[in-house]
Amino acid sequence: MAAMRHMHEYGTTSAQLAQIKVAASLHAHHNPNALLQNVVTVDEVLSSPLVSDPLHRLDCCVVTDGGGALMVVSAEVAHTLSRTCVAVLGHGEAVKGTDNGRIDLTRTGAAWSGPAAFEQAGVTPADIDYVSIYDSFTITVLETLEDLGFCDKGDGGRFVSDGTLVAPYGRLPFNTDGGGLCNNHPSNRGGMTKVIEAVRQLRGEANEAVQVPDCQIALAHGTGGSLAARMGSVTVILGQDDS
Amino acid sequence: VISLPAPPPPRDDGDEEFWTATTEGRLLLRRCDACGTVIWYPRPICPSCHSTDTSWTDASGMGTVYSFTVVRRGVGRFATAVPYVFAYVELAEGPRVMTNVVDCDPETVYIGMPVELVFHDTGERSALYRFRPTSVGQQLP
Repeated sequence: MAAMRHMHEYGTTSAQLAQIKVAASLHAHHNPNALLQNVVTVDEVLSSPLVSDPLHRLDCCVVTDGGGALMVVSAEVAHTLSRTCVAVLGHGEAVKGTDNGRIDLTRTGAAWSGPAAFEQAGVTPADIDYVSIYDSFTITVLETLEDLGFCDKGDGGRFVSDGTLVAPYGRLPFNTDGGGLCNNHPSNRGGMTKVIEAVRQLRGEANEAVQVPDCQIALAHGTGGSLAARMGSVTVILGQDDS
Repeated sequence: VISLPAPPPPRDDGDEEFWTATTEGRLLLRRCDACGTVIWYPRPICPSCHSTDTSWTDASGMGTVYSFTVVRRGVGRFATAVPYVFAYVELAEGPRVMTNVVDCDPETVYIGMPVELVFHDTGERSALYRFRPTSVGQQLP
């Protein structure tokens, strides 16, 4: 229903949403652990069966087992480790409720968690070299990118076209492990893999074909609940540890 | 037209009046007597001004489709009811409520479509509030 409303208000098309899946598939093609490793086209997304209008099967994430873990240590400890560490530059969290029934299906909690993270990190969307965006569905990515300020509200459809999200040379490479749309989506834990891939990018340890050159600042974003209705959003901005 | 299942809603303390009204063909809205806000979901404290001075009022039953989807893959009792329309309807009083649009071809539903309230009895002292295009009602004798 979020996608349907976004299309109604802003003229977003299914072909534009499909561009998000296409970019994810181009990245998953280089990930030997991805569940779906085949590159797909916009036409293939549009010709896959409708699950819930206007979302097709290929607009939806996979359902898999999986897991992940992060080590969070103090700066003192980090400096004693042999592995390259990354620094948390800023973070933000937001809960969006149903607003006494006046729900707005085109705006997510990222509209609050994003600005808080950018302010704390002292950077702007233009400074971000790579993004991990939670991707339960293609529309989840599109609304999140708008709300984080990578483009104006309503311009997401145009923004994701023309290879913007494709690594390594798109304007804003995203989900270079293939994301939830192609790689994995362990139950309700889709956010963990987002942070892990952002760390890989900053360490220069992503799959070679999708490693963003000189990746210095990355953003990871998680989404929970019912998109744009009753939901939680969390944004973290990570950077190479220069301290 | 395939009829949708009408499973009984979970019940809780304090919701007896609301669900009993649905069996009488009425959708109750909570209204704040202090600031006038129409409250949804129903609750005794106004989320706008925090007043406890609230009371029930009958919804007019009129609304428009705010957004919707045609569900093509259902689960449980709804698996065999596809395709059906799942929607948010904006009530004339303001709130947008999660519901179904029924009694029409799912392919004809659109955002902004005028709809009116209907009730589907669950058989367990409650009825589900759903909506049909107002044009359906106008065709009936």
